[in-house]
Amino acid sequence: MYRNDMTRKQIERALAERSPEDQRLLQTLENCDRRHFLRVSLKFAGMAAAAGIVQPHAFQLVNVAHAATAPGADPEIAFRFAYVSDTHLYARGMTHRFAKAAVKAVEDVNALDPQPDFVLFGGDLAQLGRPDELELGRQILRELDAPVRMMVGEHDWYLDMGELWKEMFGPDHYSFEHKGIHFVVLNSVVEKDFWTAKGYTPEQRMAIVAGLDDNRQSPFEVGEAQRAWLAADLAGVDAKTPIAIFSHSPLYKLYKPWNFWTDDAEQVQAILARFETVSVIHGHTHQLLTNRIGNIHFHGLLSTAWPWPYAPEGLPVYTVQMARSDPFNQFDGCGDGRVDVRKSGRVDKHYNLWSRNPRAVTAQQLASGTIPGPGGYDGPSY
Amino acid sequence: MKIQWLLAAACTGALSAGLLGAPHAGVSDREGDRRAKVGAEDAWASRAVWACDQRKLVIVEGVRADQRIPPDRAQLVADVLMDLMRYCNEEITAKIATDRMITVAANGKVYEHYVPGGPLPIAKASFGEPTRREQRIWQAELDKLVTEGDRLFHSDELGTNGVACAMCHPHASNTHPETYPKFQTQLKKVAVLRDMVNWCILNPLEGPELAADDDRMRALEAYILAQRAGTPLWAGKH
Amino acid sequence: MRGKRSGRRRRWPRRICSAIAAVATAALAGAEELALPVPPGVLPPEVPADNPPTAAKAELGQKLYFDTRLSTDGSVACASCHDPKHAFADPRGKATSAGVGGAAGTRNAPTVLNAAFLASQFWDGREPTLEAQAVQPLINPIEHGFADHPAVVAHLRGLADYPPHFAKAFGSDEITIERVGQALASFERTLLSLEAPIDRFLAGDAGAISESARRGWELYNGKARCNTCHGRIDVIPLFTDDLFHNLGVGTQRIDFDSVARKAAAAVDAGRSIDALALGDAAASELGRFLVTREPKDLGAFKTPQLRNVARTAPYMHDGSEATLESVIAFYDRGGNDNPYLDGGMRPLGLSDQEKADLVALIQSFTSDDLERFEALRGLAR
Repeated sequence: MYRNDMTRKQIERALAERSPEDQRLLQTLENCDRRHFLRVSLKFAGMAAAAGIVQPHAFQLVNVAHAATAPGADPEIAFRFAYVSDTHLYARGMTHRFAKAAVKAVEDVNALDPQPDFVLFGGDLAQLGRPDELELGRQILRELDAPVRMMVGEHDWYLDMGELWKEMFGPDHYSFEHKGIHFVVLNSVVEKDFWTAKGYTPEQRMAIVAGLDDNRQSPFEVGEAQRAWLAADLAGVDAKTPIAIFSHSPLYKLYKPWNFWTDDAEQVQAILARFETVSVIHGHTHQLLTNRIGNIHFHGLLSTAWPWPYAPEGLPVYTVQMARSDPFNQFDGCGDGRVDVRKSGRVDKHYNLWSRNPRAVTAQQLASGTIPGPGGYDGPSY
Repeated sequence: MKIQWLLAAACTGALSAGLLGAPHAGVSDREGDRRAKVGAEDAWASRAVWACDQRKLVIVEGVRADQRIPPDRAQLVADVLMDLMRYCNEEITAKIATDRMITVAANGKVYEHYVPGGPLPIAKASFGEPTRREQRIWQAELDKLVTEGDRLFHSDELGTNGVACAMCHPHASNTHPETYPKFQTQLKKVAVLRDMVNWCILNPLEGPELAADDDRMRALEAYILAQRAGTPLWAGKH
Repeated sequence: MRGKRSGRRRRWPRRICSAIAAVATAALAGAEELALPVPPGVLPPEVPADNPPTAAKAELGQKLYFDTRLSTDGSVACASCHDPKHAFADPRGKATSAGVGGAAGTRNAPTVLNAAFLASQFWDGREPTLEAQAVQPLINPIEHGFADHPAVVAHLRGLADYPPHFAKAFGSDEITIERVGQALASFERTLLSLEAPIDRFLAGDAGAISESARRGWELYNGKARCNTCHGRIDVIPLFTDDLFHNLGVGTQRIDFDSVARKAAAAVDAGRSIDALALGDAAASELGRFLVTREPKDLGAFKTPQLRNVARTAPYMHDGSEATLESVIAFYDRGGNDNPYLDGGMRPLGLSDQEKADLVALIQSFTSDDLERFEALRGLAR
């Protein structure tokens, strides 16, 4: 019945077998002990678990598997980058919930230790593509300490067809090398013209594209021109070089009514087919989303602004869903995260879900086809 | 259905005999009475043909009671009777006009014309079935409310912070209206759909709650429920 | 027990003998199962299968509860910090409670009244039952001060007046720490009170609470956003969701940002969380995180139940809010910002009248019948 049946003596003995550094730290904790309500067992819960001493579960010790995903601990991790995505900012001041969430993500990334090599912005910086929204986004992202790689989303593009975006943040598609990985950033939210024939104004066009379920817009695609550019960009790249594609739309076909879709996905995948190791990191879906098609691993990014529900059909079998979120808590179902790039070039995706237990989806899990569900209690804090 | 078919086939056989042969062959006394009621003058002439089930009637205009029906129109009569008998067991009257236009009537109502082999413009229920016109009107009214609800659902006018319902519920997904009433954790009590709609307006949308009889609430409910039409009810499902 | 076979007495196994003896003794002592005083329509508190409440156990529990000998310096009993005259909270009105030798702690003593209904005990929910909770303060150096549970048991064995009570309650006079917990829990399970003006109001008596409190109730379920965490569910009307939230209480007294971030990173890197103890107050402020080691629980504490809170000032886990008014003001400004602030916290924009209405409402959560508990005393030695 009692969850703590370790005597103080037993714990002290376990501690005596620890490293000097941990012992010093425990001394500090022992000094805390005298003035605290903390229980002996509780104080040393972490230590005991690390020492492999099984604790009966009043404490619900969960996810010791965190240790397995440690960047420092795992020598196979070559480097990591962080991400902030889908901020959907309105220009209504810093107290607006979307602005607060974007700042929260920036602070999370800045607090990472060690710092990531760079930060990917996953698209949809603005909500309606307005200059003041994009400017607010730029100011917020400027607070990031690590260098930022920008990617465009449809909410940024369709007010002025990306003119301001390109002026502020550079080209909408480009590539770069980093530590042996060939990175490509695509504009995968190209849409065939649906507005000219109907005579829509730019604002109307933007409003239509801004509606996820507004089927007056066209499906996303990378488009012939960009596919040609991609093929040319990759022409000189050896098949053994790991490729990482940053894309806003998923680069596969999940659910057309919500444009969780890339119309020319097969053609893009065909260009990537000859490479041994390809990872696609995409935004737009605002949820934990995982897929594998042939040699390509696909990982979705979280949004800072709001979560999308899972599509009624077309969900990849590899996806272990995050639980239904609680709208009382504006951060639930949202978050940021990081990607650990392994020496093999494959990636492990870490979801830093605000208000939930963090989740990792590793390359090894995807390769084996078994993604474990959440361990322990993953329910909402409500 | 199969029995009807056999019956229809048998009756048609008897019918053909009756049509091509003497009027009295294969025709009942009841038919004779009815014939007497129908006019005999050519201009107003019409000839009634009953199916063997005594419930389906075809009136052929421009043919006298004692006249043989020309073969092509006789075939038309047979086709119509077959269609009617296959359709249901109730009384239906069809009329073939001199220009071969066919109208059908049932339950005292006259419908538009009908082409044999095509769908019968008759509702099968016996009582109070809405007419096509009524159904058109009602559907249009519903569509209007659903469209208004769609507009509100996707707009940012219900809240004060630019958040729209559709942001978390594209196509009203994840609303699960068929699971209400249920205990709603955010409200700490059993709620119905409109309670949750109002809660969402107040909390993530940061807007003022709607009165229960507000037309906007009606519109929102109409839109949400319309998206889930056909889903079985399951009150309390989480 | 004589066997029916003539000339022979069957040797019953010892275990069965003592079980039968226990039942017999219990029956003789009138220790049939005690009915807990729960109003109709309310879910009764969960009771562990191995500790059904009996009058004898509750009596022993009461004796233990008030006994200051259950501390190393003879000054501290459960009742010292959970005093029935003060709605079972700390009568000294300080932010945090003090234990043996006047040692001050970091947590405000929660009320024991109605604690039987809660899903977990302690501000960080680290124990699931009253039995498990009751014996932890005994071995905390700043509460009752014993070194460990065997020391508690040894101490009790040295007190002559206890064995008969144990015998009456458990059928034998053996003193174990499990029995101590079971007795205390059985006593605490009798401390239930769900009759307050708010309950009568919600049952239909409109005049049971003031006009101001009625407005407060509308606010509570609406603009003030109280009920999602402090909701009153008819079948368990405690005004708590039994979950854990970071409101930012106490995060401004310490460098919470850096402590919390280091804690999250330590977990992430698989290192011992003890590595981040930078100081006493810091470690305590991590709250539920120390139990679950999940970053979402950094700085999160249990939503307390609100019955009788008007009588159990000061408030929050560290007693940092002195009055109900200051608590309302705290929520009105959206709590204290910190990296792990619960996403449900936000400024409320309440007017002065609305704040007063909420205070009036909370006062209506005070039970009508607290006097009957105030008479509770320890048993004669």
